[in-house]
Order: sequence, then C-alpha cells, then structure tokens
Amino acid sequence: MKPDAPVVLRLTNVSRSFGKIKAVRSVSLEIRKGEVIGLTGENGAGKSTLLKILAGIERPDEGRMEINGKVANFKGPNDALKAGVGVVHQEQSLFTNLTVAENIEHQNIERQGLSRFGIHDWGRINREAQKVLEKIGVDLDSRTRVGDLGFVDRQMVEIARAVSVNPDKSGTPLIILDEPTAVLEQAEVEVLEREIRKLREFASVIFVSHRLDEVLRICDRVVVMRHGELTSDRLTEGVTKDELFRAMVHETPSVAMRSRAAPSKEGQAAIEVRNLTRHGRFDNVSFAVRPGEIVALVGTNGSGRGALARALFGAETFDAGTIEVNGKAVSRWTIAKAVRAGLAYVPAERKVEGMIGGYPGTRNIALVHPEHARVGPFLRPRKMAHIAQQWFNRLGVSPNDIHQPLAQFSGGNQQKVVLAKWLNNPELKVLILDHPLRGLDVGVSQAVNREIRKACDNGTAVVLIPDTIEEALEMADEILVLKDGRVSARHDMRSAGELDVREIVSEMV
Amino acid sequence: MTSVMHEDGPRGAAGMKRNGSASMRRLFAEGAKGPIGLLAALVVLIVVFSFLNPRFASIENLQNVLFQVSVPLILVVGATLVIQMGSIDLSIEGIMGAAGMTWILLSPNTRTMIDLGLWAWLIALVLGMSLGLMTGVIYAKLKVPSFVVSLGTWYVGLGIAILLYGNNSLPSLTSEALARWPTGLTLGLPHAFWLAALVLLFGLLISNYTNLGRGLMAIGNNEPIARMSGMPVNVYKIGAFAIAGLLGGLAGILATMQLGSGSTDIGFGQLFVVIPAAVIGGTALGGGEGGMIRSALGVVLLIILNNGLVLAGVDPDYQSGVFGLILLFAIIAVAWPERGRLKVAK
Repeated sequence: MKPDAPVVLRLTNVSRSFGKIKAVRSVSLEIRKGEVIGLTGENGAGKSTLLKILAGIERPDEGRMEINGKVANFKGPNDALKAGVGVVHQEQSLFTNLTVAENIEHQNIERQGLSRFGIHDWGRINREAQKVLEKIGVDLDSRTRVGDLGFVDRQMVEIARAVSVNPDKSGTPLIILDEPTAVLEQAEVEVLEREIRKLREFASVIFVSHRLDEVLRICDRVVVMRHGELTSDRLTEGVTKDELFRAMVHETPSVAMRSRAAPSKEGQAAIEVRNLTRHGRFDNVSFAVRPGEIVALVGTNGSGRGALARALFGAETFDAGTIEVNGKAVSRWTIAKAVRAGLAYVPAERKVEGMIGGYPGTRNIALVHPEHARVGPFLRPRKMAHIAQQWFNRLGVSPNDIHQPLAQFSGGNQQKVVLAKWLNNPELKVLILDHPLRGLDVGVSQAVNREIRKACDNGTAVVLIPDTIEEALEMADEILVLKDGRVSARHDMRSAGELDVREIVSEMV
Repeated sequence: MTSVMHEDGPRGAAGMKRNGSASMRRLFAEGAKGPIGLLAALVVLIVVFSFLNPRFASIENLQNVLFQVSVPLILVVGATLVIQMGSIDLSIEGIMGAAGMTWILLSPNTRTMIDLGLWAWLIALVLGMSLGLMTGVIYAKLKVPSFVVSLGTWYVGLGIAILLYGNNSLPSLTSEALARWPTGLTLGLPHAFWLAALVLLFGLLISNYTNLGRGLMAIGNNEPIARMSGMPVNVYKIGAFAIAGLLGGLAGILATMQLGSGSTDIGFGQLFVVIPAAVIGGTALGGGEGGMIRSALGVVLLIILNNGLVLAGVDPDYQSGVFGLILLFAIIAVAWPERGRLKVAK
C-alpha cells in the first residue's frame, strides 16, 4: 500500500443510537486503496452496527460517509452494493440450491444484460462469474451447485459475490469480512489469508475478528472499538497484543465482586461432563458442577460454549464423551429426560425458545412443571394462578398481571417469567443459563442475579454463559475459558487472588 | 441444473456426517431424490406389472397410461413452481372445475347454443389464471399462508362451476372433432399427451432459464436473502400462482374434453396425485428443491402404479390405501436426511 493511494472510505463523525444506547459514537476513519484494516473489540462494542451502516442496512443518525470520493447516503443494501461495498456476513448468505455462477451474479443479472426479457443468458452468466473467480484466484467451476461445496469454498463464493458488485470500474471495491474465520478450521484459515492478500491488489478490505493473532498477521492497520468509540487506530507494525487488550477492555483492571460464601469443592457433582465432543463445535471438554456452585463458560462467539450448554440440556447431540447427572451417566439424552432429571435451561433466544408470547404468565410458568398445578390429567387454573402470582410478586414482575400475554411485557420482565418457569421446581438440580442478562437493564439484571444466587444457596448447580467477563467474575466460582471449542484455561475463583479481565480476554482470542 | 442432489447440512459435507448410517441415507436420498432412482423404480414397476399381466406392456395400455398421465402432468408443472418457492397450491381441483365448465358452456354443447371457438379457450384460461392471481396476491401481499388461501380459492372455483352448472341438464360436447381430439394419435402418442409434453417443456424453460424460475428457487431456499438481494419477491410469488392457475384452467379444459361432458368435480382426485408426485420427485415441500422432469416422473410413476394395480386384478378398494402408503413412504424418504433434533416441522 502506498501512502498516497486514493482514499476509498472516509467516515467523519458517524454516530448511530438505538433508543438511549449509543451504539456508534462519532467514529471517524479513513481507508486507502489496497489497505487491509483489522476491526476488533468486545461483543457489543459497536462493530456490527458500524458494519451495518457501511452495508446500507442501518442509516447513521449523524456524520458523513464518503466512498471513492462520493458522499454515500445508502437507503438500502442495494445502494451499498452499487457503490462497491461488498459484505461477507458472518452467517453465510448463499442460495445453496443454486449454482456458484447464479450466486455470484444474481444481483447483476438484470442490471448488466445477463438476461434478456427475463430469460437467462447462461453462457454469459457462467463466463462473467468465472472471470470474477479468476480475478480473485479461486479455482472453482462456476456451474457447481453451492450446496455441493465445502465450507471454505462457499466462503470464497461469498467473497466473489462481494467483489462482483462493483459496476463503476474506476472505483475501488470495499470488501468487508465479518468474522470470516470464526467457524473455519486452521487449514481453511490459511486459504482465507492467502485470499485476502490477493484482494488487496485491487480492493480495500475490512477484516473483523476477535482473534488478535490473525488480525496482527493479516492486516496493515488495527482499529479497536469500545463502547461505540474508536479507542485505537494503529499500524500493525510495532503494536503489541497487550496494547490492543487495553484498548478493548475497560480501564478497571481487576474485579472481585464475589458476594456469597464459596461452596465446598467436595462431594457429588450435580452434573459432570468428561471429554465431551461434538465435531466442529466443542472438543474434549471436561468439567463438574457441584450443588451450590456456579461455573461460567467464557469465550467468543463461535467458541462452542452455546452448543456445549445445549448439549448438556439434550437440545443438541454430541459425538463423544459422557454426561453424568447426579453420578449417573446419561444415555440417549433428550430434553424431556433432562427436565425430569431436574435440569433447566434459560436460552439466549428468549422470544424464540424461552417463552410462548401469546400465553399469559400463568400458562408460561406452568409449561415445564405442570404437575404442581394438576389434578390427574387436568390443569387447575386457580392453582396455576396462585403459583404464578407468587412468582410475579417474588420477582417483582411489572405490570403485575399474570393474565396478560407475555409478548406484551418488556424483555426484562419476560426474562423474569422465563426464569420463574424453571425455578418453579423444588427438585431443581442444574440451572443452565445462556446469556441470562442479554438486553436487560441494571435493575432487572440485579434481580435475575439475585435469583440465581438464591437458587445456588438452595443447592442448585449453575452453568452460566455470561454476556461479559465482568459478569463471570462477579458470579462464578469457577471460570472455564473456551477457545475454538477447547478449554484454553480454568480459573478457580476460590483460590485465585486477583484475576484480570485482560488475562481472560487473552485466553479467549 | 445439476442432476445429483445432496442434502444441505449447515456445513455441507460436514453436516452430513452427523445423522444416521451412510448406507441408509444413500438408499433413501437417491431412491427418493435422484432421477436415476425414480427411473429404476419405474422400471421395476413396469417389469413386475408386465409379469403379473402381459396386457400391461401392450401398446394400447401404454397409450392409455399416457392419456391418463396428461392432466396431472399439466398440473404438476404449476404445482412444482409453487412448491419450489416453499408454498403450496391446493386450489387446482376448483380451478379445473370452473375453467372446464366455462369452456364447455362456450363450446358446441347440448346445453347452450353458444360456440365461441378459440375464445372459449381463452376465456376459460383467463378465468383459471385470475383465480391463481387472486391466490397469489392474497398470499404475497396480505401474507396469508398459501395453504389456507388456496383452500379458499378451491371452493371459489368450485362455486363458480356449480353456479354455471345450475339445475339444468348435463352439458355434453356435441363436436365430434373436439371430443375425439385427446385420444387421437400423432406419431403413436395421444394428442392429450402431446399437449402435456408441450406444457412440460414450457415449465422446464421457465424453471431453468428465466429470472422468475431461478428466483422461485432462491425464494424457496432462503427468502430473507432473496429480499435483501433486491429480488422482486412478491412479483415472482404472484407469477408462480398465476401460472399454476393458468395450467389448472388448461387441465380443466383437457379433462372436460376427455370426459366429453361438463362436470363440477372434473378435477376430483387430482390434488392427491399431483402433490405426492411432486414430493416423490424430490420437490421438498419446504421449497428450494426439485425439478420439472422429476415431478413428471413422479406423475408417471403414480399413474402406472394405479393402472398396474387395476390390471393386476387388485381390488380397487385397496388402491386408495396403497396410494396413501406410497405418499407416506416418499415423504419419509425425502425428510430422512433432515431429521435433526430440535428441528421444527410444521
């Protein structure tokens, strides 16, 4: 990259808020032709909102965006494509039942004369797609069906599609790769790195990743975001990981907020996993949780902790290893068996998996353990109402109306009811919490954490997937750090003295 | 189009590793989805039925089979387009009734003194297409599930047919030329089949060579991405139902011609041939899969099965049951690779 290369992207004081939350605060950034920029930061730092603004999915509230010297006011993703911004999303967005060529060219088919009167010119479509593939140096037959390709080849098709949408031949395409390596194997990552080196010959690249090693290896410059702001913008040369950590994480170096008596490490585990493996998700994970203990699983997106939690609950399969509940190994583990054994799971996708929005609090709470409100096969509405009222009062659900459909409550109050559904079981043995505080404000978060601790004091074992490391430090007795599906570190909080957030982050990435 | 189909795991080949035994999957996946499996199943059926009754393999019977294949073959082209985008059209029997009745009352018949000639065709076809358009607009614009909308359209069509039929006498075709046309032979094949073959060719063109056809496949695979890519999703959806309605009208006319008289339930039983035929051909009801040729093979398979059971002397009372079992088997086979845990089927 030459220092006098033309500027491809220039952001000036770009901001975007959602309600009271400022997701992106006055970000200014310049990217020149041929540059590869690494964009990193913790979950929720504002990276994805910034990407959405560049991709035309979100519009900035303030600030100015220029692409190839022209002011960009994107009204939708199509405008971004026309301006030459190609995004490779974290989730693959290809039509698996169509051919490589169709996937690469479908946005151009009507614009660039690849079809006449609605009839495809297959010859030209295949040739154009093949040209794009050659340009980025990928050896694929454009007539292959995408569903027949491996994962890394599909990623290449995504890149080809992103590259193909630059109608203005004089401009430089801006290619955004949103955590492209999160689900790749090591060998596949190397293929991708080679690819990025080729891209820089004719494009500028924004490479978003949690993995600092990769960012330092691949990129010319690293940009760090925290709380919606750019906290660091430096050339990769001479930068150390530690400097980047400091830019990523709060200034508060260590947190010690454990506020309850540590449970003993002795005795029978409520749940214990040995060498649990699911290919491509988590690998050889072992840990035990005793009654009253909280074990936090910490890691980035794609570290496998979500799949692991779901496997514990029987919601996903595993390929190898064992799960023992109360000392007995489980076989043919299903959700129904898990619930009978006293397991509970508060999912991250609350609205999809945690509740039935059309049902009122009474029926939501009676979902998993209706036996407490049942005579023979019949539900007793008055008993259900009684139970629900107790929980609404105890958790302070607002509005305090057990008959109102749950969909009409705020997210925090919904989460209280989801929690109540599982806590409404005196035999509760293991509570698995996947992002229990996601989207909750401070008050509700405290209420939820209070209930989790109370459950612990009553002898429930807790497996927690926290939103933040601070949450893990505050709640957990033991912290397991997962990286790419493997346990990369364990911290016993009862014996550990001071534990640094930065130290944990360095084990995650 | 590629001819070999594999199921799509979330990570393609890696996704395949997890479920079931390999041999079982190969058996089911290819047996149900690949055209080779379909052709093999056809050959087996033909051999078995020929063995049971030598008359089965006669020229006359094969012409008879092709005659019977014609109407569902026309219908399955429209149905495949609709199912490929992940919707379903249940209205074909009603549309057939409305269009068939309209056509015969405007053609030389024993009831009315009207003979509009080719205009009768045009009016009946436009009626069919309008009913399809109605389904499509309500489905795409008002976002009502196509399943329910097309049930409504079915009975609207049936209602039109019943009103036209009235309390009068049965309308029969008086034109010998028209009544004989479907059974007439050209190059040894009945005209009805030639018409259906032409429609199949039309369907193949739409499906493989037009923005509409490829767009429908894209919608069936992933509608949100199709929308995000700027595809005119609603136009495609309405277009698919309009074509299905048009072909429903054509099938109604052909069936009326074959019968020689007008009937409100001229389409009776077609739905239960067409949808299973598409599914057996590998057109997944979830959308995004399948093709015209394979749907057509599905139709031929079901009609041959029906015809062969009759010739083999199987009690007609058993045939519904056998049809049902075949459908169940086919659906299980198609769903086999997808039966992951926690997958919601609706």
